[in-house]
Amino acid sequence: MQKHKTLKNILLYLVLVCIAVVAIFPLFYIVMASFRTNIEIFDYALPFTWKTLIPQEWTISNYIAIFEEFHFGLAIRNTLIVVAVLVPLSLSISALGGFVFAFFDFKGKNVLFALCLISFMVPVDAIVLPLYNLISKMGLVNSYASLILPSAASGLAMFLFTQFFKEIPKSLLEAARIDGANWLQVFVKIVLPLSVPVTITAGLMVFVNEWNNFFWPLLVARTEEFRTIQVALSYFQDENAVYFSYIFAGSAISAIVPVLLFLPLQKYFVQGITSSGVKG
Amino acid sequence: MTDQPTKTLRGKFSVPRKLLPYLMLSPALIIIFIFKIYPIISVIVTSFIRDGHFTFRTYEILLGDRTFWMSLWTTLKMNLVMIPLQIVLSLILALLVNSTVKGIGIFRSVYYLPVTMAISVAAITWELMANYNNGVFNSLFSFLGIGRQGLFTDSKQALWCIVIMATWKGCGMWMMYLLAGLKGVDTSIYESARLDGAGYFRTLFSITLPLIKRTLLFVIVANTSANMLLFAPMQLITEGGPQNSTNVLMYEVYKSAFQNGNASRAGALTAILLIIVLTVVILQFRMLNEKEE
Repeated sequence: MQKHKTLKNILLYLVLVCIAVVAIFPLFYIVMASFRTNIEIFDYALPFTWKTLIPQEWTISNYIAIFEEFHFGLAIRNTLIVVAVLVPLSLSISALGGFVFAFFDFKGKNVLFALCLISFMVPVDAIVLPLYNLISKMGLVNSYASLILPSAASGLAMFLFTQFFKEIPKSLLEAARIDGANWLQVFVKIVLPLSVPVTITAGLMVFVNEWNNFFWPLLVARTEEFRTIQVALSYFQDENAVYFSYIFAGSAISAIVPVLLFLPLQKYFVQGITSSGVKG
Repeated sequence: MTDQPTKTLRGKFSVPRKLLPYLMLSPALIIIFIFKIYPIISVIVTSFIRDGHFTFRTYEILLGDRTFWMSLWTTLKMNLVMIPLQIVLSLILALLVNSTVKGIGIFRSVYYLPVTMAISVAAITWELMANYNNGVFNSLFSFLGIGRQGLFTDSKQALWCIVIMATWKGCGMWMMYLLAGLKGVDTSIYESARLDGAGYFRTLFSITLPLIKRTLLFVIVANTSANMLLFAPMQLITEGGPQNSTNVLMYEVYKSAFQNGNASRAGALTAILLIIVLTVVILQFRMLNEKEE
C-alpha cells in the first residue's frame, strides 16, 4: 500500500515537472537570451546543445541599451503609474457596484447587471474606433486618463464582488444599520474587511487585463512620454534585426514584474475565487 | 431565507433606499455606459450608415464577399479546436494541482506564469523563438531530426501555432478558476465514492464535474468570449497571413478600420462577430442557469 502510494507520487511529480518545463521554458529562454549578444544568439542556434540556451559570455549591455537609448525606464514608470491608479480605482468602483447588486433591490437591477456582464465580454479591441473618436473629442489622446478611464469599471470584478457579497449574512449589515451606521460605513467597515481574498483576486484580474491591453495603449499613447511597457516593446520590433536582443531584455523585464507581484499573492487568489461563489 | 431582515430594513429606511442604489452604482454605470455601451452602439450604428444615409448595403456587400466567408470560417475553425482544447487542458491541470503533495503551490504558480505575461510580449517572443534561421524551436526540431519548420510563416501551420501559443498563455488562468471550484467540493464525498468502489474516472464524471458545473460553465463562457475576439497574435506575428490563413474576423475588423479606412465595414464585421459571441454565450448561460434553481 505504502509502496504503491510512493510510486503514484513519483509519477505525479514527473507529470507536474514536465508541464512546468513547458510552462516556464519560453520565460527561461527569454531571460537567458536577454543576457547575450545578438551574435551569440545566432551562433549557437544550430546545432542544439546546452549552449543554445545558456549564455556563454554573460552581458548586461542589452539592458543598458534599452534604458539609455530607448528610455525603457520611462515605459516602466508609465506602466506603474497606470496600474497604481487603475487597480484601486477599478476595485473601488466595482466593489461598490457589487455591493449594490448583492444587497439592494431596485428597478432595472437585472437589466443593469446584464449590461455590466456584457461589458466585460466585449474587449476594448472590438470597439477601438468609436472609443478613439470619443477620447479624441474629450481631448484625452496621449494622456494617462485615456489609458485608465476605459478600464476603470471592470464587469468581471463587479461580478466576482457581487457573488462574494451575496454570501455575507444580511443580519450582519442590519445590526450595523440599527447601530446607526450609514450604508457607506457599512460597506467600508463591515463588508470590505471580510472581502480581502476576493479583493486580491479581483485586483489581480484587473491587473492582468490591463497588462494584456496592447492595441488600445498603442493607439492613445502617442508619444514616449505616455508609452507603457507593452507599447515600448513594439517599437523595438519595428526596427531591423539589430534589436533582437533588446526585445528579449524588454520582454524579460515585462515578464518578471507581474511574477514578482503574483507569487506572494498566489495563496489568496484561489481562496478569493472559491469564496466568491464561482464554484460548484 | 434572508428575505425577512431585508424587508425590515426596507420598511425602516424606505426614503433614502430608493435613490441610494443608483447613486452608489453611478460611478460604475457612468464608466460602463460612456466607455463600453456607447461605443458598442456606435459601432452598430456606423455599420448601417453610408454617405450619411441609413442602409443595409454594407451587410449586403459583406455577405457577398468571399474574404468575409473565408475569415468567418477561419475564426470558427480556430475556435472549434482552441476552446475545447483549452477547457480540457485547464481541467486536467486543475485536477493535477488540486492534489495535496508537497510543493504543489510552486507548481500552481509556475503554471500561472504564462498568464502574467502580456499577450503582446508573448507574441513577440514566440515569434522570435519560432524564427526559421535562429529560433530555438527550430534548433530543437533539427536536434530531434524533424527538420526545420516554417511555423508562423507556413500557411498550413501558422493558425495552429497561434492556437498552441494562446493555449500555453491562457490555460493557467482557467486552471485557477477550475481549481477554486474543485476546492469548494467537500472532500468527504470523494471518500464515500471510493468506499462505494467508484474508480477515478467514474468519480470524475459522475461526481466532481457535476459539482463544479457552475465554475465549468463560467470558464467556458469567459473562454469563448476571450478566444473568439483574439487578435493580438495575428496583428503582431502573422498579419493575417501567410495567404490569409490566420485572417480571423477580428483581424478583418482591424484591417477594414485601420488599413482601408472603411468604418462601415469594420462596424458591420464587429456587429456580426458580437452577435455570434453573444448567441454562443447566451446559450451557455442558459445551461448555467438551468442547473441553478
